[in-house]
Amino acid sequence: MKKIFLSFSFIIFFITILVGQKTVTGVVVDEIGIPLPGASVVEVGTTNGVSTDFDGNYTIDIGENSSLEFSFVGYGSTIILVGEQDKIDVTLNPSNELAEVVVVGYGSQKKVTLTDNVARVTSEDLSDVPTPNLFNAITGRVAGVQINQTNGKVEAGLNFRIRGQSSISAGSDPLYVLDGVPLINDNESSNGAPTNPLITLNPSEIESIDILKDASAASIYGSRGANGVVIITTKKGRSGEASFNVNFSNGFSSPAKTRDWMNADEYIEIFTEAAENGLAYGGWPGNGAAYVEARFDRYSDYTWQEGAYDTDWEKMALVDGYTRDADISMSGGSDKTNYYFSVSYNDTKGIVRGNELTKINARTNISHNFSDKFSLSMNLGFNRSKIDRIANDNAFVTPLQAIAQAPISPAFLDGEPFSNTVYPNFLLEDKYGFFNTIIRRATGKISGDYKIIPNLKFTSSFAFDSYAQTEDQFRGSKTPFQSTNGEGTATNVQTENYIFSNYLTYDKNFNEDHVLNAVLGTEYNESNRRFTSVQGEQFPTDDFQTLSSAAEITSGSGNATAYSFVSYFSRLTYSFKNKYLLKLGLRYDGSSRFGKNAQYGTFPSFSAGWILSEESFLKDNDVINFLKFRASWGQVGNAEIGNFASRGLFGGVSYNQRPGIAPIQAENAQLSWESSAQTDISLQFGILENKISGEITYYNKDTDNLLFDQPLPLSSGASSITKNIGRLKNSGFEFLLDTKNITKEDFNWKTSFNIGINTSEVVTLPGGNDVINSRNILREGEALYSFYLPEYAGVDSQNGDALYYVNTEENGTLNKSTTNEYTDAERIVAGNPLPEFIFGFTNTLNYKNFDFTMIFQGEFGASIYNSAGRFQSANGDWFDNQTKDQLNRWQNPGDETDVPQARLGWSNGTGHSTRYLEDADFIRLRNLTIGYNFPGKINERLKLKNGRVYLSGFNLLTFTNYSGYDPESRTDAGGIGQVFYSAPSARTISIGLNLGF
Amino acid sequence: MRKITETLIIFICVILFSCDQKLDIEPAQSISVDKALSEENTIKNILIGTYEEAGQSASFGGRNHVISDLLGASEQISWEGTFLEPRQIFTKNILVDNSFVEGLWQNSYEVINQANLVIDNISVINQTTESNRVEGEAKFLRALAYFDLVRHFGGVPLRIEGIVDYSSDLNIQRSSEEEIYNQIISDLNDSYNLLPPSNDFFADKYAAKALLARVYLQRSEYSNALDAAHDVIVNSGHELADTFAGAFNNDVDGVEDIFAFQVTSQGGTNQCIIFYASQSNGGRQGDITLQPAYFELFGDDLNDARYSFNYVSPDNGGTLTSKFTNQYGNVPVLRMAEMHLIRAESNFRLSSSEGMTPLSEINTLRARSNAKPLSELSIDIIFNERQLELAFEGHLIHDHKRLGKNVGSLQSNDPKLLLPIPQSEMDSNSEMAQNPGY
Repeated sequence: MKKIFLSFSFIIFFITILVGQKTVTGVVVDEIGIPLPGASVVEVGTTNGVSTDFDGNYTIDIGENSSLEFSFVGYGSTIILVGEQDKIDVTLNPSNELAEVVVVGYGSQKKVTLTDNVARVTSEDLSDVPTPNLFNAITGRVAGVQINQTNGKVEAGLNFRIRGQSSISAGSDPLYVLDGVPLINDNESSNGAPTNPLITLNPSEIESIDILKDASAASIYGSRGANGVVIITTKKGRSGEASFNVNFSNGFSSPAKTRDWMNADEYIEIFTEAAENGLAYGGWPGNGAAYVEARFDRYSDYTWQEGAYDTDWEKMALVDGYTRDADISMSGGSDKTNYYFSVSYNDTKGIVRGNELTKINARTNISHNFSDKFSLSMNLGFNRSKIDRIANDNAFVTPLQAIAQAPISPAFLDGEPFSNTVYPNFLLEDKYGFFNTIIRRATGKISGDYKIIPNLKFTSSFAFDSYAQTEDQFRGSKTPFQSTNGEGTATNVQTENYIFSNYLTYDKNFNEDHVLNAVLGTEYNESNRRFTSVQGEQFPTDDFQTLSSAAEITSGSGNATAYSFVSYFSRLTYSFKNKYLLKLGLRYDGSSRFGKNAQYGTFPSFSAGWILSEESFLKDNDVINFLKFRASWGQVGNAEIGNFASRGLFGGVSYNQRPGIAPIQAENAQLSWESSAQTDISLQFGILENKISGEITYYNKDTDNLLFDQPLPLSSGASSITKNIGRLKNSGFEFLLDTKNITKEDFNWKTSFNIGINTSEVVTLPGGNDVINSRNILREGEALYSFYLPEYAGVDSQNGDALYYVNTEENGTLNKSTTNEYTDAERIVAGNPLPEFIFGFTNTLNYKNFDFTMIFQGEFGASIYNSAGRFQSANGDWFDNQTKDQLNRWQNPGDETDVPQARLGWSNGTGHSTRYLEDADFIRLRNLTIGYNFPGKINERLKLKNGRVYLSGFNLLTFTNYSGYDPESRTDAGGIGQVFYSAPSARTISIGLNLGF
Repeated sequence: MRKITETLIIFICVILFSCDQKLDIEPAQSISVDKALSEENTIKNILIGTYEEAGQSASFGGRNHVISDLLGASEQISWEGTFLEPRQIFTKNILVDNSFVEGLWQNSYEVINQANLVIDNISVINQTTESNRVEGEAKFLRALAYFDLVRHFGGVPLRIEGIVDYSSDLNIQRSSEEEIYNQIISDLNDSYNLLPPSNDFFADKYAAKALLARVYLQRSEYSNALDAAHDVIVNSGHELADTFAGAFNNDVDGVEDIFAFQVTSQGGTNQCIIFYASQSNGGRQGDITLQPAYFELFGDDLNDARYSFNYVSPDNGGTLTSKFTNQYGNVPVLRMAEMHLIRAESNFRLSSSEGMTPLSEINTLRARSNAKPLSELSIDIIFNERQLELAFEGHLIHDHKRLGKNVGSLQSNDPKLLLPIPQSEMDSNSEMAQNPGY
């Protein structure tokens, strides 16, 4: 065998010598003509390669009849048949195409030989979109990835789901890794509404985002990879002349949608009627209409009869906002040193009154080669984000609850917020209180590479992420419910995360056909969190707003917690003749979060690929340029539960200032990882000169040993216990289709279309029993957290009662007769809170100096439950202003309508039911950008390298039948798939200017 | 080659650095169950924790009072607030997912489990007086919780052993009302025997006796009720406050308070304030307002201090009781006026005069509030007096049921006057049965 192998090698060697040699030179530039230093130029099918120099020049000796492949990180690559040429100049375009390089964790890989499912978004996709939230810019860009901001508050939490939700009780967020640093992603909000800790990231610093979708890719992150991994890479300098870039933009925002509410006359009409009906129905209110008239007097400051006020409360809460951006960056380098500096400022005034975000980011990325063997790099970024916050959706003083106020009430009376409103007037809170959050974050890494021998590299890095947040709240003596001469709260949380990684990378090409890459390493990660808070009241006057002035300190707290991970990891990739590809991965993780008996876990993965288009039978095919089949399997874990979730614990309490203890957590010593086995099968193709390329993927994510907060009978004295029970399956298809519709010198049109179809199914539950969590159910065979509600059947046309379907099961079918008694109606599985089908559709056009981008996004299959429906669309059940459709209430026997009789206080039809459940399907024009690049003459005159003006719109159009505010918006006050006075997202239009020097 | 070896050595050292001890991290704010149940000090701490639990908003922090008042009221008060849950209780249209009802249930069983843990592990405390005191207090709190459960829900699951292992089978059937009452009476008798005569602001033996008097009255065991109330009146050292107002809004327990849940600006909560008081008194506006029918209970005795013990809410114009105006005032549970009313009613029913004649006892109580003395008594007059004196303190629905009196148009045994078993208990306890009508 060895003999044959040797002979074979010799033959190849001699062939190489026998074949004639020639020298080719040229220059590699980017799309605007700037030289690309360090671009790779490789003789196809060999390991023969060089890099371009400082000015993008290269010289390479190659065999005749060879082809050259030119590539550069973040840019596409191109292969050129050399033929008779000896000078080849190449332009590389930044692109998403097959030949790019993706970052895969502890290294990077060429997409063409990748056997895992990794999607990549690059900086050009991120720029221009007027939103302070980085991830808002990639919604709709990646197949099978759902990204929604919880609601329209600027700092609102983020729902980032890669291929559905793969956990029930443990975290469902992916792991975010910034330049190798796993980011702290804990919600540290203390007002009940989650904030997005990643709001600190600055889109303009980001070079690329790689999303590791399948288990084979994510398994290098082992116990933390089950929800996928998002690898964020910041920009670096390139050798060459320094370039200086500035970008300014200024945008204007308004709520994406408003709703129709009753006006003053309608309000008076329906509640007068409701009181009369209430009296007739059940003898209450005893004095009928007089009862509500006394209310009208109070709510309207005794003016309702003359119609003095007709307040649009929605307009008080939802206002016009703006977003302003300024980014400045400088980058460049010499042959030994590269640098990138940037600073940016963003000020976003939200569309909800009193909500604003101001952030400053700065970054330095430097690398230096001390010698051929040793190099060092350091990335350091810091951020300050100041957020003027408003209360969570379930607080009377949150602005959008103003839509419940009576239109007959003035918002202000003599310049002061009116206080006799139905609910406390949030304008009092807005005027006399504040809640400010400031996040100060620094994330950095120092990393050294040492080449032990040419093919073996040792990398050691130390990384640190520090998340410091303060919150200051003051509620002056005039705020609602204030009885203690003001109250103030100050909190301080400091979380640090440090990571010490060491790994060896071995790269070797054996006999040209065999390409081997191996990574072996270890990592230690520790995170510490420390929290303190003080609360006080009795301030001398409202001018004193810090706690030193509080005469009475009413509470203080201080606590600390920590977790750690110890990990060992390895990865082996091998390709034979660039056709047959194989990858093996193994990670061994230990965590302090799990009980002694179950502290370590092993996470293996395998993947393989076959590039069919390299086979002789396809190699010269005119239609099919690229065809690759790949399959992967891997096991990943989810460790996102409390730091001490396995233990039975007692915590401290106090009673009349005496110390006590109370049970806080039920013990489960067996608690361990949630493990997820995932299979992924893909076919990638490129046809007609790669004008049409795409990918079809099937995946199956099978999560076993779910980390699950099983509800306990409340009579046991505990409400839930965390267990590893049950199984959940997410499976589906992803399609990706990229087409180059027109490719001409001054006219280019590309489209990218992606679809993700995901089916979630609860496979097994303990004992097969349903787990019901208020209005959501986990039931075997049903989608995760399906809505579980009595089914609304409209209105009894005889008496105006709300009707419900009985839905008792009889001989396997549901009894669809109706009942007037809410309590006689059985609950049914009524909808899915998560979408089953999502898509994104991007068009990019370049015409002469103009560029144009348009992104559509859509979600189908999800329903939204409006928990506030029973107040706001409740046929005048209480004094909340009603949606206009409630005017269609039942009034006389024989009336056919869906809105029951108005009956003050009698809860006619206001029980939780499908009456308030709606489909949330939508298609949205997410982003539209039109840019104009300055022509060369203007650039010369202005001494610019490049210049561009652009107009960009965000959330411009929404097509939906959903009647609520926003099909993407959900409540931030708990509940799955529900809305509760949740703000719509902002629609923003901005104008920007981009200059390069 | 040497370089490779060196590097590998360094690499291996680095690997060894990442060792197992790094995974040993202990919680800083909590201790293990084993430790909590094994030390004298921690058992006593659990007892304090049980008081804290019972004083939470869902039950004795005040919602218990509010639920009883709203359920028992028809015309005397009105629910003006926006919360749906109390409104359902007020209109007797309670849904099975009513969160006030669920909270009462959950909180009561948390109290019961914690009290059980103290009682189960009482042997850890060596010194007898101390272990007696701790056990007596735990049994008092357990009885207090069960008494309100049985009155509001009927027969409920009887759990008298603490649960630590939550992976065991926790399904449990309802016991009969009789079994629950037997446990309550046995616990309170134990408590009376174990507790000292006074015990700071914690339960003492007269707190146990006073609760026993209330239990016996509820069960129409008048002779036992009489003995218990008489014992408290004669021996506890508590007496009526000088004025009616003096009985309420106390920062620390007053002379009339036999037992109250403690509230300070730093801990505890008074939910009566939330629902009964105006915003400037720490409430929501005065969600529960007094109606003309309430004032009619006073007849023409407009000088009765209790008649004018109210104020107009600047927030909603409603008339609010003055019993709850101190945001950080304690939540009274047992006070002397009730003992006098129990003794008087029992004497009246038994035609006895233990301690005092029923008429002079009632008149003594009325005298404190400058009310005209009564010339004769009947059960209805005593009930009326109880409403004048004890309104809004959580007695109303239970008096209606005890006396067989209609609530509005509902008969006192109407299923709508019993709370539903919370949906979450029905969903998670396969042995559970729902109350009729839900």
